[in-house]
Amino acid sequence: MDVKQEVRKLTPTVRPRIIGYGSVALLTVVLPFLLQSELYYLDTLILALLWASAAGAWNLAGGYGGLLSLGHAAFFGIGAYASSLMYVKLEVSPWIGMAAGAILAGVLGLVTGMVTLRMKGPFFALTTIAITEVLMIVAVNWSDLTNGSKGVNIPYHPGFSNIAFDSKIPYYFLALAICLIPFFIARWLERSRYGYELMAVRDNEAAAQALGIDSVRVKVGILVISSAITAVAGAFYAQYITVIEPYHEFSFAVSVQMVLITMIGGLGTKWGPIFGSLIVTGMDTFLRDVLVGAQGGVQALLYGLMLVLVVLFIPEGLIPWMKRRFRLKNGGVHNG
Amino acid sequence: MILLQLLISGILIGGVYALISLGLTLVFGVMRIVNFVHGDLLMIAMYMAYWLFTLFGIDNYTGLLVIIPATAGLGALIYWGVLRFAVRRSHDASILATIGISIVLQNAALILWSADYRSINNELATRSVEWKGLHLSAPLLIAFGVAILVTLLLFAFLNHTYWGKAIRAASMDRYAAILMGVKPQQIFTLSFAIGTALVGIAGALLASVYTVYPTVGAQFLLVSFVVVVLGGLGSLRGAILGGLMVGIVESTSAYFIGSSMKELVYLLLFILILIVRPTGLFGQRLPEVDR
Repeated sequence: MDVKQEVRKLTPTVRPRIIGYGSVALLTVVLPFLLQSELYYLDTLILALLWASAAGAWNLAGGYGGLLSLGHAAFFGIGAYASSLMYVKLEVSPWIGMAAGAILAGVLGLVTGMVTLRMKGPFFALTTIAITEVLMIVAVNWSDLTNGSKGVNIPYHPGFSNIAFDSKIPYYFLALAICLIPFFIARWLERSRYGYELMAVRDNEAAAQALGIDSVRVKVGILVISSAITAVAGAFYAQYITVIEPYHEFSFAVSVQMVLITMIGGLGTKWGPIFGSLIVTGMDTFLRDVLVGAQGGVQALLYGLMLVLVVLFIPEGLIPWMKRRFRLKNGGVHNG
Repeated sequence: MILLQLLISGILIGGVYALISLGLTLVFGVMRIVNFVHGDLLMIAMYMAYWLFTLFGIDNYTGLLVIIPATAGLGALIYWGVLRFAVRRSHDASILATIGISIVLQNAALILWSADYRSINNELATRSVEWKGLHLSAPLLIAFGVAILVTLLLFAFLNHTYWGKAIRAASMDRYAAILMGVKPQQIFTLSFAIGTALVGIAGALLASVYTVYPTVGAQFLLVSFVVVVLGGLGSLRGAILGGLMVGIVESTSAYFIGSSMKELVYLLLFILILIVRPTGLFGQRLPEVDR
């Protein structure tokens, strides 16, 4: 059998993949330019990417690591506050602020990981909630530093070093870049020794330890990575929205938003947060168009409903669920 | 004198916290559900009391006759309609499902009744009793009395009736209880209904103390988590002691540090307890349920 025949046999499966990935990549690059005049939809897209990055970061700890954090708003808020306070008070470039926020959040993630190590069941989730709540109270009451409940306004001086742009397109690509960080880390987890160790600890900690895996290192490590990236997303959020408030940035709603998006897309899958964010943020914009003038709360009510339905009936999330559906339809085997 | 005053106000509010937390800890003890809807059921009960008073002039204590069965029914409905599907799954599933229901209830309240702050203005609401130089708020005093009565009734029910014993049996060892002929879904529905009725009573009592708005449940949920973890998740006696402790900590820290920081004190206490002794000060480790 010569090589050419082999190649020909391969191509039918390889080519659609390349075409698939290629067209998705091309679309993501071209899309902002197509939407240049439709600022409203471009804005939706940027927010979708932003929440995809935050949810993707959450997914590293929550999905791959099995650590149900309900306090990732803490890291998000630290990122937002670090970059904007350093910019407003010390005139440090938000790029540096972003890095500082990531380091701070990483340290908090480390501490959180160290103190929650022995916790089982719901105690980890409760601790993360409490930590976020403490940070919110600090942000509200330490008004010399944080402006208290008034929040921080970020002055608009366009320029690359200030992460402030005239056009929305640079924001788009920045959000895209941030969103790709957790994506590629997730991809790495799926095929690296560390990732296997992490998932082994998630699925059965005792068995993993018996095999010689240092479950402490594995779990704390992923929490540090996850919280640092969440802070980057938070810093981007602050620069993009230009106003931050303690009651929003450190809120339970923000923590839940990341969980909700990941659950809908697919827990512990690399595409899940991106897909989920497109659905959730897209639905948000769509509903805002449809429900003009309606009472506030309808959208959030639907989110809640969606969360309940997904958790109870499609706990693996939409992507794995559709994959399985698709496979079954094509006569494939059920392996879930 | 001031210390005594703080202690007594703390105990009064702590009694109500204990009443709120009893339902939470009962639901966890029996079916291992970490119930994030608990605070919102309090909110619903407060709204019920508010509307009964505003529309029909029924004060919130007489209103209990309506509110108790209504909240119990709502609880049974939530369990039977939604949580029944989560009870055999992991803690994570029940946490996320109840968070979902909580979002639904909060926003339903927002749509129905708007975000306005509402409060009952009956003449009792602002009255305070003076006794040997101590000022005691009348509605809190009544709430404390009712809380004690309800707690005694609950313990009598759990210790001396068939259904109560079945609930305790199911929380001690679910499978042994099933083998003894206890029907788990019936027991779970009943326990959830009792849990919501308890929080319903608390809501009605608190309606004349606090203003009600759609997200009022969130802060009480947090407090009752602190109480329940302090006393040991799943332990009823622990919830009562925890409630009193949190009440006292809150009233004294509000006086010495300032009311905006009082949450900080019990939250730090909460984190400390979680780290040092996650089974709570008075609790024992509950047997994990295989799912």
